Parts: sequence; C-alpha cells; structure tokens
Amino acid sequence: MDAAAELLAAALRIATPLLFAALGGILSERAGVFAVGLEGMMLTGAFAGVIATHALGNAGLGLVASAVGGAFLAAIVAIATVRFCADQMVTGLAVNILALGLTSFLLRGLFGRGEAPIIRVTPLTPVPIPVLGDIPILGPLLFRQPALTYVGLALVVAMFVLLHRTRAGLTLRAVGENPTAAFAGGADPIRVRTLAVLCGGALAGIGGAVLSLQQVGTFTDGMTNGRGYLALAAIIVGRWSPGGALVGCLLFGATDALQLRIQGLRLPVSSYVIQMLPYVVSLAVLAGLGRGARLPAAIGIPFIRDRR
Amino acid sequence: MRLALGRFDALAERAVVGRSFYRAIAWPLLAVVLALGLTALLILFAGKNPLLAYAALVRGAVGSWDRVGVGLNKATPYVLTGVGVALCFRARVINIGGEGQIALGGLAATWIALMFPQAPPVVLPLLALMAGALAGAGWAALAAGIRLRRGVHEVLVTLLLNFVGVLIVSEALQGTLGEPGSGFPQSPLLPGAAWLPHLLPGSDLHVGILIAVMVVVAGHALLWRTPFGFRLRVLGASVPAAAYAGISEPRTVLSVMSLAGALAGLAGGVEVLGVHYRLIDGFSHGFGFNAVAIALLGALNPIAVLPAGLFFGFLETGALAMQRAVGVPTPLVSVIQGLTMIFILSAMGLSARRPKA
Amino acid sequence: MLRMQGISKSYGAVHANRAIDLDVAAGRIVGLLGENGSGKTTLMNILFGMVVPDAGTITFKGLGLAGHSPREAIAAGIGMIHQHFMLVPAMTVTENVMLGWEATGRWLRPAAVAARVRSASSAYGLGLDPDARIEMLPLGAQQRVEIVKAVLRGAELLVLDEPTSSLSPPEIAGLLGVLRRLREEGRSVIFISHKLGEVLEICDEVVVLRDGEVAGRAAVAGIGRRELAHMMVGRDVGAPIDRVAHVAGAERLVVADLAVRDAAGIERLSGVSFSVRAGEVLALVGVDGNGQAELAGVIAGVDLPTHGSVFVDGADVTAGGVTARRAAGLAHVPADRGTTGLVAEMTIAENLALRAFDDPPLRRGPWLDADAMDKLARERIAEFAIRTSGPETAARTLSGGNQQKIVLARELGGRPTVLVAEQPTRGLDPGATRFVIDQVLALRAAGGAILYISTELEEALLVADRIGVMYKGRLVGLMPREDVDLSRLGLMMAGALEEHPDAAALYGVRAP
Repeated sequence: MDAAAELLAAALRIATPLLFAALGGILSERAGVFAVGLEGMMLTGAFAGVIATHALGNAGLGLVASAVGGAFLAAIVAIATVRFCADQMVTGLAVNILALGLTSFLLRGLFGRGEAPIIRVTPLTPVPIPVLGDIPILGPLLFRQPALTYVGLALVVAMFVLLHRTRAGLTLRAVGENPTAAFAGGADPIRVRTLAVLCGGALAGIGGAVLSLQQVGTFTDGMTNGRGYLALAAIIVGRWSPGGALVGCLLFGATDALQLRIQGLRLPVSSYVIQMLPYVVSLAVLAGLGRGARLPAAIGIPFIRDRR
Repeated sequence: MRLALGRFDALAERAVVGRSFYRAIAWPLLAVVLALGLTALLILFAGKNPLLAYAALVRGAVGSWDRVGVGLNKATPYVLTGVGVALCFRARVINIGGEGQIALGGLAATWIALMFPQAPPVVLPLLALMAGALAGAGWAALAAGIRLRRGVHEVLVTLLLNFVGVLIVSEALQGTLGEPGSGFPQSPLLPGAAWLPHLLPGSDLHVGILIAVMVVVAGHALLWRTPFGFRLRVLGASVPAAAYAGISEPRTVLSVMSLAGALAGLAGGVEVLGVHYRLIDGFSHGFGFNAVAIALLGALNPIAVLPAGLFFGFLETGALAMQRAVGVPTPLVSVIQGLTMIFILSAMGLSARRPKA
Repeated sequence: MLRMQGISKSYGAVHANRAIDLDVAAGRIVGLLGENGSGKTTLMNILFGMVVPDAGTITFKGLGLAGHSPREAIAAGIGMIHQHFMLVPAMTVTENVMLGWEATGRWLRPAAVAARVRSASSAYGLGLDPDARIEMLPLGAQQRVEIVKAVLRGAELLVLDEPTSSLSPPEIAGLLGVLRRLREEGRSVIFISHKLGEVLEICDEVVVLRDGEVAGRAAVAGIGRRELAHMMVGRDVGAPIDRVAHVAGAERLVVADLAVRDAAGIERLSGVSFSVRAGEVLALVGVDGNGQAELAGVIAGVDLPTHGSVFVDGADVTAGGVTARRAAGLAHVPADRGTTGLVAEMTIAENLALRAFDDPPLRRGPWLDADAMDKLARERIAEFAIRTSGPETAARTLSGGNQQKIVLARELGGRPTVLVAEQPTRGLDPGATRFVIDQVLALRAAGGAILYISTELEEALLVADRIGVMYKGRLVGLMPREDVDLSRLGLMMAGALEEHPDAAALYGVRAP
C-alpha cells in the first residue's frame, strides 16, 4: 500500500512538467492551433530557466525567464501559422528542430569553448505542507510535493474556470470551433489565437523549467526528450479538457515512475523494453480511445478575413 | 499598428505570389538565404566572425573531392527518406516516423549480413538492403494501420513508434546482435562481402548515391505519370473529391506509408552497409525530422528533394569543419534547418491564401 | 438611417461591387434583389465590416463607419444574419448569444442571459430553448437564434442574406411575420434574395443589383414581376424551355428500401424506394438537410447504406462503390462543386480525368497516358464550349459556370445511362443555369434516366416528369408533374402532410 502511494506521489511529481506543457497546449489547441511545438517550447524554457538562475542567482527569476523563453518560440509559431497561415503541424516540427539547435548552440556559445559545459543549479526542494502532509497515503501524494506541482494542480482548476466561466474562455473556444462565427460576433480571431499560442508557450516553458530546475538541476542537450509530444498525447487522451489532461499526464508519469522502479528491481526484463513502456502504453491508450476524441472543429484551419 | 501590419502583409504576399516559375525556385532559395542571414547574427552574438565561419563551412563541405564524397554519403539517406516523406505529404499524410523506420531498416540489414556471411559480395548487400526496406515498410504499415483502424493521427503514431523502434534496436544490440566488450552498444563488424562498394577508389563515396538518384527519378515518375501518383495528389488536395473519384483512402494511405517506410528502411540499410559497416546505437538520430525538412525544402517534388538533400548533407559535413576551424558549435546546423523550414512554410501559407493567384 | 455611397470592391479581375449607392430609412423593409453573383452578399459584408471596400462611404445614424469590423457594426446597431449561420454548433443557444457580447460581463452569467433569451423569444414568437445545442436544432430554429442575437444586442437595422433558402414554406411565413413585427417597432430590414416572389410579398421597396451595379430601384407597390425580372437579368427572359413530353422506357435506376445511419447513430435516411426510367427526370425537392445528401451519397457509391439496395439496369451495385457504378454507366454531379466535384488546383485535363484515370484509354499499362488525357480534354472543351485558355489551366481560375461545365462535361461526356445531379445550378448565373438545364433535358431526350435533387421548386418543375419530396430522410410524396399542387407540395416539404407513394406512383404509372 505504501509502495503504491509512493508510486503515485512520484507519478505526480514526474508528471508536473508534462502537466504545464499540456495545459499550455490546451490553450493553443482549443483556440484552433495545433500545439506540436510544445517540445521546443519546453526545451527553450528549460534552457532559459537554468541560464537565468545561474546568471541571476534567483530561481524565481529563472522561472520568469523560462516563461519568456517558451513564449519567444511560441511567437515564432504564432507569426508563421496565424499571420502567414503556414501549416501548423509542420511548423511545430520545424520549431522543435530550431529549439534543439538554438539551445545547444547557445549553451556552448555562452559558456563553453566549443564544448558542452555543465551548469549546476540547486534543484527546487519539496515543500511539505504542515499537518496536511502527515495524513497517511494522501499526505505524501498531495501535500509533500515540490512547490511547482501545487501550482500545476491549481492551474488545472484555474484553466477550467477560465475556459468555461469567463468571457475570454468562451471567445477562445468559439474561435477554435468556428472563427468566422466568432468574428461575426465581434471577436478578433487573429488576436485571440496569437494570445492563446503565446500563453501556451509560456506555460510550456515553465514546464521545461520544472524539468531542469526542479528535477534535474542542470540543462543538457535535448533534455526534454519527447516530453512535449507526450504532453500532446495527454491532451488527446484527456479530450482537450484540463482535468482530462491531468489524468493523461498522470498516466504517463505513472508508467515512467514504474519503469524507473522496475529497473531498480533487477527483473529479468531488459531495461530497454521497460523504457518502451510509456510509449507503448500511450499508443495503446490512444488506439483504444480511437475516434472518440472530439477535436476543436476549426483546428488547423487558418482564419482569413477577406473571404467572399 | 494594425495598419502597419496590414501593409507588411500585403507586401509579403506580393513578394511571394509572383511569377509562377521563378516563384517555384525563389522562395526555397530566399528562405535559405534568410536563414543563413539570421544565423550569421547568432554567430556574431557568440563572438565569432560569420564570414570566416561560413567560409570554413563551405571548405569543409566541398573543399576537396574527399569532402564532396563525404557530403554525398551524408545526403544519401536524407534523399531516400525525403522522397518517401514527400510522397506521403502529397497525400496529406504527415509521416514523421523516419527515425524508427531507418533504425529498424538498419537492424534488419545487419541481421541478414551477420546471418549469411558466406554469401557472395553482390548478393549479400542486395539481400540485406531488401530486408531493410521490408522492415521499414512493415513498421510504417503498422503506423498506418493504427491510424486507419483506430483514427489516431499519424503524427502521434509515427512519433511514438519512433521511440519504440529505436529502443528495439538498442535492445537487440544488448543481445544477439551486440558486440560484448566493445564498451559501446554496437554490432560486430559486418563481413566485407556485405559492404557497399565504393564509387571512386580511395574515397569514401559509396554506391548509395546512385540508388538515391534512381529513387528520385522513380519517385518523380510515380507521382506525375502513374495512376497511383494521381490518387496521391487528389487525396492530398481534397478528401471528398477522392471519395467521389472512387479512390480508396485506406488503401492509398497504407500504400504510400509503406512505400515511404521501405525507402527509409533502405536508407537505414545503406547507412549501415556503406558508412559504418556495423550497427551503432543511435545512428538514426534526427534523420526523420530532417527528412521532413528536406521534403518541404523540395516543395514536395521528388526531383527537388535531391538538391535539398544535398544541401542538408553538405551543411552537416561543413558544420563539423566549421566547429574545428572557427569554434562555432555544430548545433547551429539545426538552427539553419529549422529557420529554413519556417520561412518556407510561411511562404507556402501566404501563397495558398490567394485563391486567384 | 443608412446611407451607403459609391461602394466598390474587386477581387482580382472580378468587380463584385461597382459604385453602389444604397439608402435605407427607418421602419422600412428594403429588398436587395439580384441573381447569383450580382454582388449582394459582398455589399452587405462590407456594411457589416467583414469585408473592406476598395472605395465608398457608409453613414449609419449620422455616424461614419469605415475600416470597421463586425464589432463596431454591432455596436452601432447593425445586425446581420448570414446565409450560412455564424453559430458554433457545439455550443448552446445561450453560449452563442453571449459570444462577443461584452455587455454580459467578464464572468459569464448564463442564467441571466438565458432568461433574456426566453423573454425575447416569446415577445417575437421565436420559440427558442436557451439550453439547446445548436447542432441539435433544425435550420429554421438556428436562424431564429441568429435573429434573437441581433435583437438582444439592440440591432436597429437587420440584414438577412437569403433567409428563406433553408426554410420550408410554413417557416417562411413565420419569418415574414417576425420581420413585420420588427418593422412595426421602427427597426429596418434589408432583405437579400434572388427570389422575386418573396421580395414582392414582404418588402416596401426594392433595389435590384446586376453584375455588381444597381440596375434599378422601385417601390414595391408600383412595380410588377416582369419589370423586376427584366431589371435582374437585363434582357427579356430567355426562350422557353424546350420540353418534349414522351413516354418513359424501362427502369434504369431502382432504389429499394434505403436507410442510412450516421456516425452518431442518427437515422438520416429511412425506407426510401423509387425508380427512374429511361427518358425520365425524377426531381426530388425538399429543404436542404432532409437526407438528400445522404441519398445521393449512397446512390452514387460514395457511401454505403445501412440497409437497402441500389440497382442500375438490373445490376446490384450497392456494395460496388464508385467503380461498379461507373462501369454500369452511372454519372454523378455532386452538390459541392468546389471541393468534391473538382480539384481546384489541378488542371482542366486532370479534372476531366478525375474519375476515369484508372482505366484505358487514359491509362496505358502502369502509366497515365498524358496525350490521351489532353486529347479528351480538348474534345470536351469544344463540345461543351468551356471558356478557357487550354487544358493545362488550373480549374480554380474558371468562373462558377465554367467549372460546372467541366463537371458536366466529365459526367455527361461518357453518355451515361443514369445521372444523379445534386443542386446542379447552385450559385450559377442565369446563363449557366440555362446551360445545365438544357444538358439535363438533352440527356433525357437521349434516353437517360435522371435523378435531379434540388431545393429550387420552380426549377424542379421546369425539368421534372415526376416530383418527389424529401422530409426528414423519408420520401413523403411522389407524383407526376401534372398532378402537382404547389400548396400541398409546400406542406409536404414542411412535414405537415404525407402521401405515401403507392406502387403505381412508384413506377410512374397512373393508377386507373
């Protein structure tokens, strides 16, 4: 029982970067822009966070920097896809390639002499909540997590409220379903989509910082290693709702945590096979869900104003 | 502010939607130039001289016949995979599974080579390459099957299968195909009979480039001169029109993805048999996305994939030299590639916006 | 109240609006009349701010409107109800009303808005349920949601674009009642239509547009149909249609007990049976969305029915897909010319080969025979008088009429035995419409069997030998043309009356 609770707690911890990215992706996709660039935005955020913390000595500023980094990449996506109507999926891929090169290049260019330097930052530590943290089972799971995990959970609720209880959220959803209708109703789909993509990028950047600042303590080339794409999968699994995305991220976090623990157990199964677990499980879940997932109707379709 | 942006928009549109022939060449070229320009700024920022850097780049890429040979070798898998991806994109199937398909292709080729070391020197590489193509085709067909049967978007499926495919190769290298004691996950050196012959004695250039050229020509003919290519183009233009025309979407998607997978698997086999002479863990890293970039750079035209692939291949050979000579880090190459793609995509988006261009 | 002066707008070589002046006073219903392509929708989109004009000024209630977007138009008091509704299908009525309406505040209060929807709905007799999801509502109700949106936002000028195209006759009467009530309140209405009869019935005055210019203005009281028609078309209405009555031959298309269930499990078509004989045109009329698209889809082989069969010349082609039907001689003109019937970016030659590319003579072994395709294209271009510079031009550069000619050339060029035509004259100018009808009648004279699906009752009456009515996926009436009673037909289209076709009507034989 204890092991299971511990596993869940670890799952939530591991899922936190995914969660931030997924929530950012939901903003973008609900407004009608595919969030394939999450991977690159996370990576840029991870990089910016470490660099800023190292240079300024303050993790809080590092977090801000990570949001800016993610938003910077998101700005590229927004301009290309919303303004110039570039293909959203492929632009996301291009941006991921760009981020990979840019972060590695800047890492060496700013700090090394052609070699990859290692920057150590003190990882953010868990913040136990007194009293609540001592409740058996639920305590370690929910109340002895690092600070950013709490923020992530709060963000899930906040995003739900935003999407369903505020005018801004209604407009955003409408732009994703039928931007012409939203335009005829008085909204500005270009502005809405651009803002959604930028905010989404900022969130994804913070997710990257969770990875580099909170979990690992440094930045290495391509350290996100596909998490951005897993966040995308989580969005689909969760049917584009914040709560659902949380479940999806937890799922992937759990398989990842499981995989780490099994490795420690020295089972006769090869470690590579175990590493495949998260991906295979994701595929199985996606395949199982099949066509049920309900895409925002106008996603991927650029909005052009002067239509006849 | 809105007015200024509007005017910029109109200018940009006019620049892109120009005379049709020049337009076809103009914007890939322009994109490359812009990308190089922006990267020059980055190089400056890193404290190096961009002119020196680019000079070193060019020298490293085409400075000697030897270098040209290496560049052609590097371009070969890109061109092979790029043609397949271009064909998929024509049908609006976004196949980014290149990495996994190449990895498994290399695996299959290695396995055949190690299984039949006694086979004669032309037969063995042929068999191995065929095995590689089959493996890649199978992996892509699996992705297509999941997409068609379960409705999961092919981007996600091919992406996730990439990870799995690469891990399968790592796993194999730990076991039967591995070389214990080498300190690095790799297979034993393949028998000489399996090695791809060299085109020019004394250089590293192997016959793979010839295969690539043949694939490019075949791909072009397939797309423009055959009913199958016609189906691809109709499906990519409009799904309802394809249904109306009696084109079976599942069959076409499955076919084109298998074909692309076969080409990628072939590329994997070529890498293993022509460059490394053994299976090395992670040898396929980054190939899949680069193939997408190349397909785009070639405006989804198999013929144009050749120069695009060459561009990437030489870019990468040159980058290593650039790092050694001037100290500019190699990841810069990804920056150039990413920027080029983004500019081309934006140009394509702009031109698609004007229905009566 | 409204003054538009000198409005001009061009799209490349096409002049959609040419120096148009339009004045609307308070408490008037003004009709904007014109054929398809005359520029009515463009003009109104400019008024509403969705399109930016090249030249001209707009003054509304003394204030100038320029370079504006719908937000400013709405704030000024203009409401527009588009032909294709600007609603979000996945959201409820209340949510759609709240959309973009800043007065409802930053935090949504659906209950308050729902109450307002309810009260406005009863005041104008609209009968709306605020919690219903748009995608579940029939088209007539969706239109009323658009009206409630405009009214609640205080629109003093309402623009309705082809409002009756998706309504059954009783619903049309209801709409006209609402408009009269709005006029009594001192609001004004601009009523865009291409239907003379409606404009004469409801409007106080009418402005006629032709080819992007104002062709005439008049008060409805003093003008007659013929004069208006003359203004619309610019010449006397063309020579009467040449229709030779003759006895139909053998059955060519037989459809038995067809049913289609869509992905959500909703029945879109049920128990449809009829036959079409050689040399006969069977027209199916009905408001769009009552199963016509599904019916055409299964007959043409694009979709599989959940139940039932399709026979062409006695052969069962139900499961054979498009290939079997083409082999049996069935041609199909789809409703959506732009995305289904043609591939816009492909050349004319490729479009003409769109369905036949996989068979000889267009295919030789593993290759496409480009010469054969070119030859075929030239033949068809000449035969059907398609206005273009050559077979290698892209289809999207052609006008709507010429594009439809390509579709017809492809489908009729092979001398089909059966033709399924869906809305073949939609969006076409009068000349092109006449061309289509002539071709259909020519095929009829040559012995072909034609299934003609249309929303335009007058047109159907022009070509049909027998007329059937589609309502909610069922065939609710089938009668020879001579027996047609327009009011009964209208009631059938609204689902108020059902005449189950008996065996005699099924086979077009008059019962003794």
